[in-house]
Amino acid sequence: MCGIVGCVGRPDETLDVLMTGLSNLEYRGYDSAGVALSNEALSVEKRAGELEELENAVRTTSLHGNVGVGHTRWSTHGAPTDANAHPHTDCSERVAVVHNGIIENYAELKNELQARGHTFESETDTEVLPHLVEEYLEAGTDPESAVREAIGRIEGSYAVGVVVAGVDAIFAAREDSPLVIGVADDEFHLASDVPAFLDYTDRVVYLDDGEFATLRPGGLTVMDAEGTPIEKPVETVDWDTEDTGKGGYDHYMLKEIHEQPQAIRQCLSGRVDELRGRVELEELDRLARPQRVQFVACGTSYHAGLYAAHLFREMGIPAQTFIASEYATSPPPVDEDELVVAITQSGETADTLSALREAKARGAETLALTNVVGSSVTRECDHTMYIRAGPEIGVAASKTFTSQLVAVNLLVEAMNGNDAGVLTGLRDLAGDLQSVLDRVDVTAAAERLAAAERCFFVGRGLNHPVALEGALKFKEITYVHAEGFPAGELKHGSLALVTDETPVVAVLTGDGEETQKTIGNIKEVESRGAPVIAVTDGQVELEGYVDEVIEVPATHAHVAPLLANAVLQLIAYRSADLLGRSIDKPRNLAKSVTVE
Amino acid sequence: MSITAAVVLAAGEGERLRPLTRNRPKPMLPAANRPIIEYVFDALVDAGIEELHVVVGYKRDRVQGHVGSTYRGVPVTYHTQEKQLGSAHAALQARDALDDDFLVVNGDQIAQGDLVADVMATHDAESAVTLAVIESDDASMYGAVETDGDRVTRIVERPGGDEYRLLNAGVYACDASLFSAVEDAIGDGESLTMPNAISSLVESGFEVRAARTSGLWTDATYPWDLLAVGQQLLDRGDIDGTEVREGVWCADRVRIHEDAVLRPPVVVSSDSEIGANAVVGPHVALGQNVTVGSNATVERSVLDADTRVGAGSTLVDCVTGQGVSLGPGCVAPGGPADVAVGTTVHEDRRLGALVADRATARGGVTFVPGTLVGPNAELDAGTTVSGVIAENGRVMR
Repeated sequence: MCGIVGCVGRPDETLDVLMTGLSNLEYRGYDSAGVALSNEALSVEKRAGELEELENAVRTTSLHGNVGVGHTRWSTHGAPTDANAHPHTDCSERVAVVHNGIIENYAELKNELQARGHTFESETDTEVLPHLVEEYLEAGTDPESAVREAIGRIEGSYAVGVVVAGVDAIFAAREDSPLVIGVADDEFHLASDVPAFLDYTDRVVYLDDGEFATLRPGGLTVMDAEGTPIEKPVETVDWDTEDTGKGGYDHYMLKEIHEQPQAIRQCLSGRVDELRGRVELEELDRLARPQRVQFVACGTSYHAGLYAAHLFREMGIPAQTFIASEYATSPPPVDEDELVVAITQSGETADTLSALREAKARGAETLALTNVVGSSVTRECDHTMYIRAGPEIGVAASKTFTSQLVAVNLLVEAMNGNDAGVLTGLRDLAGDLQSVLDRVDVTAAAERLAAAERCFFVGRGLNHPVALEGALKFKEITYVHAEGFPAGELKHGSLALVTDETPVVAVLTGDGEETQKTIGNIKEVESRGAPVIAVTDGQVELEGYVDEVIEVPATHAHVAPLLANAVLQLIAYRSADLLGRSIDKPRNLAKSVTVE
Repeated sequence: MSITAAVVLAAGEGERLRPLTRNRPKPMLPAANRPIIEYVFDALVDAGIEELHVVVGYKRDRVQGHVGSTYRGVPVTYHTQEKQLGSAHAALQARDALDDDFLVVNGDQIAQGDLVADVMATHDAESAVTLAVIESDDASMYGAVETDGDRVTRIVERPGGDEYRLLNAGVYACDASLFSAVEDAIGDGESLTMPNAISSLVESGFEVRAARTSGLWTDATYPWDLLAVGQQLLDRGDIDGTEVREGVWCADRVRIHEDAVLRPPVVVSSDSEIGANAVVGPHVALGQNVTVGSNATVERSVLDADTRVGAGSTLVDCVTGQGVSLGPGCVAPGGPADVAVGTTVHEDRRLGALVADRATARGGVTFVPGTLVGPNAELDAGTTVSGVIAENGRVMR
């Protein structure tokens, strides 16, 4: 998703610092990038495409400035072109703006501005802002007030950075879109995410909604929505730039797949006491067993939510999972007996935050399940449980999904009086998953799937969300159409698409009723000639029905799906690699989706 | 001469440590409670090395997955040796990443103290290679070095006998002539070790110097050596962790029952649990997430991550791999035994049992001293096992 950077207080190195910041934010996904530096005049360069395009462009010009802002754009309004890239400027080329989020009343503002003679260069919503600032400046307003007034006119979500020619300052504001300020003595950094400036400082001020900040060399001031200056705490983040290299792997995603045993250990650490048969979650000691639970989430986190709801229902607590963007606009009945759990890796997912606010407004108790300490969701929820997966750079989530499922199991065990079998399964999990990474060979399966034009993933019960996630992972990074289904649902329509050219990946663990019925569904597709790849823990005999069996270690029914999921990750990765895809930055996708 | 880069050789399996190396190379096996390679990295970083180049090959994911892209803030770059054609060929894989003189270090032997610093201080512009030598009675069992003054005249691998006193500690400072020699020698695809490459440099008239050092050097060649190495590190107090009382190191988040007894020296890694009335130590290293059940006794053993020892079991002189599960009442009384490694029988080795990764003993299993249990083997409850149990083997009652 879009990334903002900004720097004041390093006059000789402004451009270098901005370019480093943009490159550190590359992982968020983008389709164009640009910078603006302010002196007596503004210098702006922006390019569609990879950051390299911008680097080539700035190398041939000599951009100087005491302060500057930069941006990586992920298109929402207007195609990825040079003109639509940020920063955007006004008619007089005195004001440059970088913006994340969506300005909902931009059409109306644009009409007004055009009527008053402003000309627009781009199709973006953002461009109304510099023109608004221009009008206030022309009316004689000082630059800081001009930016504040202009921001007061816009509706929607935003994180904004503004520079004005001849002014040694960056003006910044946020509403429903993340923005942080890095503090290093007399220099200040602006960014949408901490890794942008971790090379320079680990001291951070988190801006809250409605706040307005002015960054000048030597001084930072923050005002609340009413314009009253406020003191903001400076926090120290414990992230390390060291965790963000590829460590000898070709892609971050493969590195992150291999980091899963460690991520599982971190998630469990200090939380499970096997000998006493107990899970202890200190951070949730004020959270009682809920009457009912609703999960809100998007994408991979939504699949974690489906898995979670299944476990809660198994322990007798009514639970449902909702796609957050749907929940936000048409929420189901919610009251104070409901626990609403927001699952979001980044803690900044706009749709999830928006759904959460709907639930809060109706009195629900809220719990955040997230990976990022201090993220927006943690500040908005009554309770927070961290999944402790460590930084994830690959756009396609891998280890964070596994950690989400581990965290969900801990939550269930903590609330439900602790099933010894599950605790043993959890303590075995890191080793079991390591064994999958050590032993499983997915080459043949990947070759088969990479050659197909479409494929299906099926599973029942807890393996249903795993099948959905397997299909999502597969299509995200291979660009081959893949769909996941509850195994019993295929025959109610989509079976019409099944031929000898559509491989089906079936996930079946254990030997219970679900597995027996899934075998029946395998026979349905097998008899239509579809090649079948089964991912199983070896509890049932599949010889004769399937073309290929990939086996994972047998363990408790609650955790077996996590092992199958690791196999599906490897299949997706290998297939995408065979197809030569951009695995860490798939086309059109962004890591942390901060627009609705 | 200032040297800032080191090549760490971690591509080989370490066949003589089978079956422990089934899923990971020797540098990743535990010395006390940490992988051997971490001690190597520590020695290099302490000596001021600023770039670590790790040559990986056999089961390279395990090295990369564990170490990541930096070690104690020093960047780590990986180079892959596709075929295991000897340590000199391995070092060659890092050639393009090196500018000035550099170190080459074995990633599977523990070199500590001043050893690395002594080699770096001795190496000068005239020398093609400077290697660390240690006075040792065991020189003839490993690589022995002949010198004339501080010039190396010959390196002999495992000569036997007792005429050699200087041991090659596997730490080399080199200039680029090493790589030319290696390239010439392996033109025909044959394998080449570092001692062979250096011997050929000596024969061609290059200056090869010996840096005599009093540093510490330890190698685990066979499974039972892991017990000796662990014992040495524990006795020296060379343990990374919080010493909660003399000779007892405990990581954060361990759970030790108040009625359990820890007999020093002993180290307990994070998330491990020790039950009521269990007696652990002396000379025991527990890896991460190990469970020792109530009333169990563990002595002079190295239990790697995720191992579970059932209630009332007794383990003496044991090495376990990762994810080993021993049910209640298992007994490995320990003591000297004849152990078969490959086609050789080693007599009188102190090894209670070696249980490889993810093997399971259901309970009440008795291990005759010297038993080697393969990965994923299953031993039924109440069986008595001895000799070698194959990978995935099943011992039925």
